[in-house]
Amino acid sequence: MLTRIGLASVRSPVTSSLIKPALVRGLKTIPQPPGFVVGTVNEAYVHPKPNKMHGSLHWTLERGVALGLVPLAAAPLFTGVSTVVDSTLSAFLLYHCYVGFQSCIIDYIPSRVYGSYHNYAMYLLTFGTGVAGYGIYQLEQKEGGVTTLVSKIWHA
Amino acid sequence: MPISLFARTAPRVGAIRSIATVKSTSESEIEILNAQRSNRPVSPHLTIYQPQLTMLLSGLHRITGVAMAGGFYALTVAFAATSILSIPFDGATLVSAFAGLPIYAKIGAKAAAAFPFAFHFANGIRHLIWDFGKELTIKGVYRTGYTVLTISAIAGTYLTFF
Amino acid sequence: MFASRTASSRLLASSSTKVASTSQIAQRAFSVSATQQHAAPAPVPPKQALKEFKIYRWNPDQPSEKPQLQSYKVNLAECGPMVLDALIKIKNDLDPTLTFRRSCREGICGSCAMNIDGVNTLACLSRIDRSESKPQKIYPLPHMYIVKDLVPDLTLFYKQYKSIEPFLKNDNVPEGREHLQSPADRKKLDGMYECILCACCSTSCPSYWWNQDEYLGPAALMAAYRWMADSRDSYGPQRKEKMQNSLSLYRCHTIFNCSRTCPKGLNPAKAIAQIKLELATGA
Repeated sequence: MLTRIGLASVRSPVTSSLIKPALVRGLKTIPQPPGFVVGTVNEAYVHPKPNKMHGSLHWTLERGVALGLVPLAAAPLFTGVSTVVDSTLSAFLLYHCYVGFQSCIIDYIPSRVYGSYHNYAMYLLTFGTGVAGYGIYQLEQKEGGVTTLVSKIWHA
Repeated sequence: MPISLFARTAPRVGAIRSIATVKSTSESEIEILNAQRSNRPVSPHLTIYQPQLTMLLSGLHRITGVAMAGGFYALTVAFAATSILSIPFDGATLVSAFAGLPIYAKIGAKAAAAFPFAFHFANGIRHLIWDFGKELTIKGVYRTGYTVLTISAIAGTYLTFF
Repeated sequence: MFASRTASSRLLASSSTKVASTSQIAQRAFSVSATQQHAAPAPVPPKQALKEFKIYRWNPDQPSEKPQLQSYKVNLAECGPMVLDALIKIKNDLDPTLTFRRSCREGICGSCAMNIDGVNTLACLSRIDRSESKPQKIYPLPHMYIVKDLVPDLTLFYKQYKSIEPFLKNDNVPEGREHLQSPADRKKLDGMYECILCACCSTSCPSYWWNQDEYLGPAALMAAYRWMADSRDSYGPQRKEKMQNSLSLYRCHTIFNCSRTCPKGLNPAKAIAQIKLELATGA
């Protein structure tokens, strides 16, 4: 049937260099349905299960922390800050970086294409964030805070 | 008589158009469609789209964010790792290492930190303005965009040299 | 030679020869002057204004051949002002195999959406750039599967539109009269109901490029908000609940390419920002 309409050679989208170069880099990706179309043309697209933690609550917390970061990051530029303020700044900044990286991972390493690699990336990020959190604790104790250290280096 | 009548009314050879129809089921039709879909190329995007202030500033926001976050993680993880692994490493090492650099390297490093910070900070405020529902028009986007670029240029220069 | 075409002159001609109609006099007078007083004008070469168009071509009958840019030269003096006029002229005169969608030629059907000189617009509303030094580049809508030449496969786009249930849903329909709406409530829909679903905005969004199968895109999201904001619709909370995941709505990072490129001047980015606000504050 396929040869009658000239479809003798069917390129698989996974090996087609025009679509998914990830295979070239050695990462096995999950083959996507042709044309990204699941089901027939008459069926509506099916949304993922709703979960407020990944939806509006995540968004609100993200914006709340970003809003808090504005005065917290501006203050050390003008005056020295106490360790409490510095710790708050570092904690907010760490969360902000975590959410930023998570957004990049969801955009560029989506789970529907990369499957378990997405999860590994998220585990690595979470682990790295935990280690960085401990590092912030060390910094606050030994160096008197992140902003103190940065200003020392800056004016060296 | 009937035969000659038939001969006159029958269409000439060569004037008959033969059309072959193929019986198919809806499953085989979907199979053909999917086979066609697998062959299709994806139209070019980043290579041909006009670089516009909208996507340029957004891309720059992400790039500066990732770069600075990478630096922040590097610093904090370094402190955590050296503490856990008992490697002697502290702020004084960093300060003296930085102080030992030639002047142009110092200014280069400070600029590489100050300009992304200033831009990300200012563009971050622009994002927060949008999230509160303000300046959500093309005019507003361009107005705030050029403001952000100006502020980050000024603030970055100030932070680098003072 | 001049056959009497008009009915009146035919009648007059057949009835009498003495009274001639004004049209016959005019014909004869004109014919006399045309042959005697005017010499044939010297042939003037037609005004040439050749514009080069570079158009993306791909043939599904030869799928192993890579897509390429084909160059066509069009005489702008004999062509309408819009890019669609040039495309139709190329299809009529130069290359009948050039394939593209078009219908209304007035910017209301949304068929001729394509990427012209790097910007997604409707070809029928986009003027040809008259400078003859640079070729005008015409590509199909970015990051879409191409059926042929400039025709993208919009199946997923329509499935996403269908998934947001673009129709009025109300359990308490008023009995015996219309479903009334105040002018203030009706004004909230201005700027959203005019969407012609041309797909220019969705295909200009980098988030839609990378995550087309899970992110709904500005067109579908603005349509979703159009129904959330409609005072006659009572399923607002359910519509909003559908957006509560990290992908359908929240892949939007306010890049704003969508509003920048909309050929009808609509603002999907604002609609999406309002959905986010309502989800955060209301829900």
